[in-house]
Amino acid sequence: MQADIKWLDDPQVFRVGQLPAHSDHYWYRDADEARSKSSSFAQSLDGQWQFKFADRPQHRPIGFYEPNYDTSDFGTIHVPGHIELSNYAQIQYINTLYPWEGKIYRRPAYTMGSDQTGEGMFSEAPDNSVGAYIRHFRLAPGLRNQRVIVQFDGVEEAMYVWLNGHFLGYAEDSFSRSEFDLTDALVDGENVLAVEVFKRSTASFLEDQDMFRFSGIFRSVRLVGLPTVHVADMHIRPVVNEDLDSGELNVTLKLTGDLESKARVHLTVFDKADKLIVDEKRPVAKQISFGHLPFENVMLWTHHNPDLYHLTVTITDADADPIEVVPYDIGFRRLELRNQVIYLNGKRLIINGVNRHEWDAATGRTVSMADMKADLQTFAENHINAVRTCHYPDQIPWYYMCDQAGVYMMAENNLETHGTWQKMGAVEPSDNVPGSLPQWREAVLDRARSNYETFKNHPAILFWSLGNESYAGDDIEAMNTYYKTMDSSRLTHYEGVVRNRKYETSISDVESRMYASPAEIRTYLSNQPMKPFLDCEYMHDMGNSLGGLGEYMALLDDFPSYQGGFIWDFIDQALWVTDEVTGRQVLRYGGDFDDRHTDGEFSGDGLMFANRQAKPAMQEVRYYYGQYDN
Amino acid sequence: MANTTTKLHVIFGDGTLGVATEDVHYLFSYEKGGLESILSHGKEWLYRPIRPIFWRATTDNDRGNHFSEESAMWLGADCFTRCQAIDVQVDGEDLGLPIAPQNNQFSNDEMADRVDITFDFQTATTPATKVTMHYQIVANGKVTLTSHLQGNEALPELPAFGVQLIMPTVATGFEYDGLSGETYPDRMAGGSRGQYYVAGLPVTPYLVPQEMGMHMQTRWLTVTRQRTLNNADVDAQPFSLSVEMNDQPFAFSCLPYTAMELEAATHIEELPLARRTVLSVYGAVRGVGGIDSWGADVQPPYRLFADVDRTFTIQIHPGNHVTD
Repeated sequence: MQADIKWLDDPQVFRVGQLPAHSDHYWYRDADEARSKSSSFAQSLDGQWQFKFADRPQHRPIGFYEPNYDTSDFGTIHVPGHIELSNYAQIQYINTLYPWEGKIYRRPAYTMGSDQTGEGMFSEAPDNSVGAYIRHFRLAPGLRNQRVIVQFDGVEEAMYVWLNGHFLGYAEDSFSRSEFDLTDALVDGENVLAVEVFKRSTASFLEDQDMFRFSGIFRSVRLVGLPTVHVADMHIRPVVNEDLDSGELNVTLKLTGDLESKARVHLTVFDKADKLIVDEKRPVAKQISFGHLPFENVMLWTHHNPDLYHLTVTITDADADPIEVVPYDIGFRRLELRNQVIYLNGKRLIINGVNRHEWDAATGRTVSMADMKADLQTFAENHINAVRTCHYPDQIPWYYMCDQAGVYMMAENNLETHGTWQKMGAVEPSDNVPGSLPQWREAVLDRARSNYETFKNHPAILFWSLGNESYAGDDIEAMNTYYKTMDSSRLTHYEGVVRNRKYETSISDVESRMYASPAEIRTYLSNQPMKPFLDCEYMHDMGNSLGGLGEYMALLDDFPSYQGGFIWDFIDQALWVTDEVTGRQVLRYGGDFDDRHTDGEFSGDGLMFANRQAKPAMQEVRYYYGQYDN
Repeated sequence: MANTTTKLHVIFGDGTLGVATEDVHYLFSYEKGGLESILSHGKEWLYRPIRPIFWRATTDNDRGNHFSEESAMWLGADCFTRCQAIDVQVDGEDLGLPIAPQNNQFSNDEMADRVDITFDFQTATTPATKVTMHYQIVANGKVTLTSHLQGNEALPELPAFGVQLIMPTVATGFEYDGLSGETYPDRMAGGSRGQYYVAGLPVTPYLVPQEMGMHMQTRWLTVTRQRTLNNADVDAQPFSLSVEMNDQPFAFSCLPYTAMELEAATHIEELPLARRTVLSVYGAVRGVGGIDSWGADVQPPYRLFADVDRTFTIQIHPGNHVTD
């Protein structure tokens, strides 16, 4: 297989050579490793990488992935991080218009006719900067003589990967993990991993989120070794019966490796008091299902009591020694939609939510565990019980942390095509993607699949969100159908269908709007609503704002079908910069980098300032969310 | 406080009216159109005369819904309003504007129980309207200031209506009885009533400097300073000035900047070095809004329509808050 730069232009090519998405479980060599959460099967590749920047594809170092390539003119870059924040490329903030607005004329492939393939639109574009990354590594002892996978947790927006000169594949979808099997290309001793990252591809049309526009390997990279028998995927489906007291657990495992061996699978589940509830053993097989394991007196998972059961899959060899240990904390909760009201564990669901971009004023969308912990602490202090992962999947640990903290999640796909349907505020979808174009359908379905497969076991997720502000057509309808087919334990969410009500019955379980006034919401809810209502975005907290929250909260008293909403948004997006005049560290926003076109300070809409200091308005959120904290 | 049996000493100057007790000496400037000096135990409290204010710095939501464009003439009024008439009454006797030769009849020991002085302003709006600031000083030395805005339906909505005291140096802090945090008419349910001390004059670091630091529903406020601009004053003891509600609580902000200074900056690092204390006391302020930042207006109950008369009264005196 040869890498082809024309994939950048083709919306029908978005993953080549990648492993299929699977559950986000961690695996360990034995119980001790599992307890300490330190796996000898994992080897981090974070740190300094060799790096060469090119302002356009034609200037990139051709063949840099060959192990004997002369890299003497390469610099370095820190992984994870954004190329722009290492000052190789210009920082730009822009909201709905595409970042090339007024610089390059583009229409998404096939929107202006089936013969408009978009060839060369990105592969020959002067605004498509390229980062050539090289990392030398030797396998850690724990990974030798095994299948070895490389995991990229986030790379923006398109990448080609080689190991020791062998092409491994191609990935888009900046915010989903991409994995490639390195095994056949590995050598003893030093290996050379090469990654070519393009700032733009057809994925750029799908990633028009209101945010600073970055590129590069901005989340962690690691190698993982697969033991001789390995749990490749686990599908855990706890079910709570109607009595809210009894339930059952269904677990399906997909195994890889030596499935002819005498290895066995041992499934245990302990409750929080360390009482053994499940204790099942099976011989290994490609797929193993444990069905209808009964549970009595179920500890329900809720915001205030996020009780989790401790599930463990242990694979043992013929001598009963462990080969692999996979722990996963699971939660039982019952989500229902009855008569236009959403209930969680029999109680009407009230969402006291926020939208949260991943943001750190020093490192952009490369956020740390400390940032995530601080954010959950802020949630707890202010009665924030729900988060929308606007508008892309977050780092994987965040989902585990929300399970632990009892924070309800709206897990959103990496999708926003705002600039293809809304121009100067008006709905004008003549070049909308994905729309109903077959050439764009698989790309967005792949994003839905990655989101579902990766995060399907998290009790915190109550809603799958199809994306943000992308209008509505057959393709987004297909995403809704996908989630409905895969998952009956959660609801689907999508706001954009209110812009095209032709799809009202086939997209989104909820009537979701953004920035509807209290009066508009009253009108909807007073006229035989078809669906429960929630605000996927409301209370736009730009600068000194957040007036009138009480009028929204009053809707909770007046309409059972009003389920609350997600404030826009949690934290200002601004960047620490050394002031060119005073030398002080100051926070800067769009336009402060000579970036044009830009939407300036419009990214400063947080309840928190970019330095994670709460804005004064937070006390109002604390008060009202506290009044409805159930 | 001064002994309430003591009378006020009235000094009928040629450009000012002086009113003094043992503890405080007020100077009303006929030329500048307002109270220009509150001197108490050697400490000056005013850098510029107290003036009416109509503007608070544009918020992002104001920008989005074009409020500031619609109401821009109030910015002009905030900067350039003219004092048109002054009237002095002593113990209820109307003296008009008692300058020479009318004041030749007085001596240096004119005493009174009550002094009233009224300044009439014409706003720099089209059409113009009238603002009256009426100061009443009684023998205990306390000033009661009543400000009145004459409504006019031809004028756009106001950002705010209040009075401003600019103090010569930066305060060390202020204490108030009101609501916690920054509050606005449409964002004060979360404010807890209590007495709060705020150290220094904190500037809320909104990405683009804008209206900030408002405190609604305030019963009293004490500002404390430690330094003066008087070159002969080497004393570093803190000293205070208080504002008390009269019949209704007031709103205030206490910042190192005027609305104009906030309005002019695109980042907080562009704000000037903090030099003075800008105490703005409001009878009415516009809410901040929150539905969106690109068009939705503040909800009607929290907007200041210009067609109604507005009046508010506060009391000002040197020293700490006094419990009635």
